[in-house]
Amino acid sequence: MPKITHQSHLIEMEKITKSFGDFLAIDQVSFNLTHGEIHALLGENGAGKSSLMNVLAGIYAQDEGQIKLNGNTVDITGPAMAKSLGIGMVHQHYKLVSNFSALDNIALTVPHGAYQSGIRDLRKIIISKMSEIGFDLDIDKQVGKLSVAEQQRVEILKVLLGGAKIIVLDEPTAVLTDEESKGFFKTIKLLAESGAAVILVTHKLKEAMNYADRITVMRGGQIIDTITPEDLSEEQLISLIVGEIIIDEPNLSKDIGDRKISLQNLQTTSHDGSIALKNISLNIRRGEIYGIAGVGGNGQAELASALMGLSKLETGAILLNGHGDISSMRPDQRRNCGLVYIPADRQKYALAGQLSLTENYAISGLLRHEFGSWFKVNSFKAFEKASKAFKEYDIMGVRNLNQKAASLSGGNAQKLVISREFSSNPSFIIAHSPSRGLDLRATAAVRAKLCMARDNGAAVLLISEDLDEILLLSDTIGVINGGSIVAEFEAPTARHDIGKAMVN
Amino acid sequence: MDFLVFWLSNVPSFAAPFALGVLGMIICERSGVLNLGAEGFVLVGAMSGAGVLISLGDYPLSAIIIAGASASVLGLLFGFLVVLLRVNQVIAGLIMVFLAQGLTSLISRNMGWVNKPFSGLGRLDFGFLTDIPFLGPVIFGQDIIVYITILLYIFSFYFIYRTNIGLQLRAVGENPDAVDAAGGNVILLRFMAILIGAFFLGVAGGYLTVVVAKIWVDGISGGRGWIIIALVIFARWQLWRSIVGAVLFGCIEALIPRLAAVGVQLPQYFILMLPYLVTLFVMIWSNLKGNNKQDTPLALGRPYLREERH
Amino acid sequence: MNYSGNILTKKRLNLEVREPLGLLAKTIILLVSVLFGLSISIFILILSGVNASDLWNEFIIYIFTSQKNLSAVLVQAVPLIIVGLSAAVAFRAKFWNIGIEGQMIFGAIAATFIATNDVGPESMRLTLMFLAAAAGGIGWIILPAIIKIRLDVNEIISTLLMNYIAFNFLLHLLYGSWRDPLTGFPNSQQYDTFENLPLIGWQSLNFSIVIALFLSAVIFWLFVFSRFGYMLRVLHSNANMAQSLGIRVGILIFLATIISGALAGICGFAVSAGIESRMTQSFFVGYGFSGILIAFLARENPIGILIVSLLFSILVIGGQSLQVFYQIPFAMVQLIQAIIVMCVAGSEFFIRYRISILKR
Repeated sequence: MPKITHQSHLIEMEKITKSFGDFLAIDQVSFNLTHGEIHALLGENGAGKSSLMNVLAGIYAQDEGQIKLNGNTVDITGPAMAKSLGIGMVHQHYKLVSNFSALDNIALTVPHGAYQSGIRDLRKIIISKMSEIGFDLDIDKQVGKLSVAEQQRVEILKVLLGGAKIIVLDEPTAVLTDEESKGFFKTIKLLAESGAAVILVTHKLKEAMNYADRITVMRGGQIIDTITPEDLSEEQLISLIVGEIIIDEPNLSKDIGDRKISLQNLQTTSHDGSIALKNISLNIRRGEIYGIAGVGGNGQAELASALMGLSKLETGAILLNGHGDISSMRPDQRRNCGLVYIPADRQKYALAGQLSLTENYAISGLLRHEFGSWFKVNSFKAFEKASKAFKEYDIMGVRNLNQKAASLSGGNAQKLVISREFSSNPSFIIAHSPSRGLDLRATAAVRAKLCMARDNGAAVLLISEDLDEILLLSDTIGVINGGSIVAEFEAPTARHDIGKAMVN
Repeated sequence: MDFLVFWLSNVPSFAAPFALGVLGMIICERSGVLNLGAEGFVLVGAMSGAGVLISLGDYPLSAIIIAGASASVLGLLFGFLVVLLRVNQVIAGLIMVFLAQGLTSLISRNMGWVNKPFSGLGRLDFGFLTDIPFLGPVIFGQDIIVYITILLYIFSFYFIYRTNIGLQLRAVGENPDAVDAAGGNVILLRFMAILIGAFFLGVAGGYLTVVVAKIWVDGISGGRGWIIIALVIFARWQLWRSIVGAVLFGCIEALIPRLAAVGVQLPQYFILMLPYLVTLFVMIWSNLKGNNKQDTPLALGRPYLREERH
Repeated sequence: MNYSGNILTKKRLNLEVREPLGLLAKTIILLVSVLFGLSISIFILILSGVNASDLWNEFIIYIFTSQKNLSAVLVQAVPLIIVGLSAAVAFRAKFWNIGIEGQMIFGAIAATFIATNDVGPESMRLTLMFLAAAAGGIGWIILPAIIKIRLDVNEIISTLLMNYIAFNFLLHLLYGSWRDPLTGFPNSQQYDTFENLPLIGWQSLNFSIVIALFLSAVIFWLFVFSRFGYMLRVLHSNANMAQSLGIRVGILIFLATIISGALAGICGFAVSAGIESRMTQSFFVGYGFSGILIAFLARENPIGILIVSLLFSILVIGGQSLQVFYQIPFAMVQLIQAIIVMCVAGSEFFIRYRISILKR
């Protein structure tokens, strides 16, 4: 393992800052990489790890700060430039042409002269490289038919054969099985031994501890610390990742009723490399907020989608008190049973940007036949109700209710969504990352509304990647990891225990 | 027997414009650009081909090349609209048809090209080869463009499947992000595909006037551009299937005059309907079987935008 | 790489989606692009030998001062309005109905069947023809609709193929059993007088304009006031949201396409019983694309469709007089329509995107 010396590092990123609009993604971050090391960049989602690496790979341009390669300052103007500097990144979402073979996909990115003659030599080069790093692949098979682990190998080959000496891997084991992960790390070790330097962007603590030479922890866009695995115990590392912030007293339910929803052994299959639900089983009671904690990408979106009826379950039952098993019902039928949904991606699922505020609010009421008949919509009534709701939910930035929904800022748009979903007095609320991207005021308002709904007797499933939020609001906490619920806690719980279940 | 020979020896002439047109469309659509303006490109080619022969003299081969080139000029406009301005490809295609119909009518009238017959391009005679009973006229008695078309298909196969540019072209129609990440130029590739596609469509049109009709009137393309669009789907964007489709249409089109000449009273319009019915059936069948998505270039019809934020 | 001192600055062109523009900005861009298109058209016309001042005369004075011409404009506008509405309803459901002409054909076939076979009492004949036309249009769109919704078969191609099948079927009828026995020409028998849409007393205007205005009002009501229209708006704006909220998207699309088909069929009836007084072999030519372009320019708004159809009609009638006086072929009208639509389509780029130059 290389010692940290004072000779020039392979890569030095100094005081990198990057914002997207108002959002500060990376704040004065300094990071370095030495030759031949495996360096883990560890942290939760939104910590800034991917953004930092995207700066290195030339996909984003930093606002401030500079990057040095072997002591010389470089200006990485784009992915092509990064590639020429020897920086290669394997993204979470692979950039592969699914009906090309692996050979052709590699041919697309690796120069090889004229196609017909060059492809034979390229084939030989690939085969020798594969044996060098110890993996095996049918390079003539259509990439779309390969397993996700195999597709990843194609991406790694692309990057290696492109001459990368610095390899960045973004959440590489997120979609791999345990066996496949072991194989993956064998490859990584061989790579490091052959002289490449590897940056491993991950949230998985054990992997970082077992395989990395150094670990840099990021949280909230900042570097917390850079350590070696021997320096800290697992528990200490967890604290670094999730933080020691003392939050407010959790707002617990005063009146939890009997069981309302029971999820039994939900399973899905995935067709595009995203994670599948393996075994989700949990119960939620009336007047309770059940919080699902977990690092993003472990099945949260899939769970929400399956509960709403937007995707199919392989097996499993969703038992709703008073309605039986709703797992074969369409979304409109589930809504008639009292389900509502506050999705994580409101632009995609919850807002019609080109329609007016009134229309966005009133659509769910309309579907419940509340505003007039088929023949004529009672827009006056809809307008009245919308005005009332907007006042009640304190939605700002509204000159008049006819303006387009796209004109609302994040927090107010979210309040609009919530006001609409709550307008039916739902008995089961699914809230996915409800305060993501919102400022403090809006966040507080959104959380207050959720608690209010709970206090009125609704059952709430809160899915959030923000551990503070989970701890603040949940009466019961389930940790989702790899598509299953791996641990359950009753509030109040130690942050630490939850973090442990999340990152293992 | 004679009937068979007469019929089959005419098939290549009817099949050639389809074959050329579909080849162009495949190249264009493989890069992800949906081209509903085919009828317009064919028209432009048809007019230009006739125009050269009427105004410049008896240069049939040059006429056909110029036919292709002028369609490419229209292709530049189309490319500007859909690749650079990211205009909806369906609307842009329809605009091309309308534009071409108007322009060709206008220009041909101004230049006095309407209804002026010319000698065009005749069939080749390979001497004793052509005189072989039955096979002779069918295989060795065609005009030179038919043979060139076959060569073009061979070259195109090589170009699309055995060169780096061809690889990039196919990749751009499936996953332009991947090409962009690999350092390829999506815009340039798509422009190239559009121009080549337009060229072949123009040549198909030129063939219609220079070889088949030997005259120009408004709308002489007779909707063949639209048939070519349907043929691409029928061919599932594959070269060999498009030859099958073109020959199929050629057979049907060549059959009609033969039947009339022999005095057979068949429901001729039902025969003319056949190709469309067959294509429709194939589309439904393949979607029923579930392999609908596999052959369509994944990025077909979607304008490409590389965003800073992913 | 080694730079002494400053980091080299490089510019990079960046294209990104902009924040939605206000109504005023979009209207200005629309008007500018229409004017731009018109200028190009006028330029081409002048190049072709038309006197600039005569243009003003032909297109504006001539049409609005002569009652005959004004009524010709209105008569021509009727089928344009109806196909515009047909295209618009389908577009609202994200269904590209390229098969309008085929549906027109079957609408006319159904109506002609009622007419030539004297189905029903004389007083009801026209009404029956109207209803049959609507049914004919529906019948011809139903297959593409179902295979799109259930099997995701591309409707652009399927409706296009149906066009060709319809066209050939029409020829089969007109050259065969439906050929006019009196004249031997390939069109149907002439309709009886009571089978024609009656003139409404002013020039050559017939009852079809009442139908067109009535349908516009119906579609307007549908889009703006009805529950169906509201759901369509949501679907058009965000299909994912529509599904998530529980809107039955498949049924919505099906109903919209049915209405679109019915309208196209009615247009076939309006042309045959209103203008031609029989079914001819080319009564439908050009209406399909015109409908689509009109719906596009009007952004599917029925009021916009009325206006754009009138403008297109003025272009057509004006074009006819250009043909007579200047030997400008009728294709010029098509060209002008295409140029204007092209400019408007191109201008959307500036509405949707923003070009910025990134300095690094």
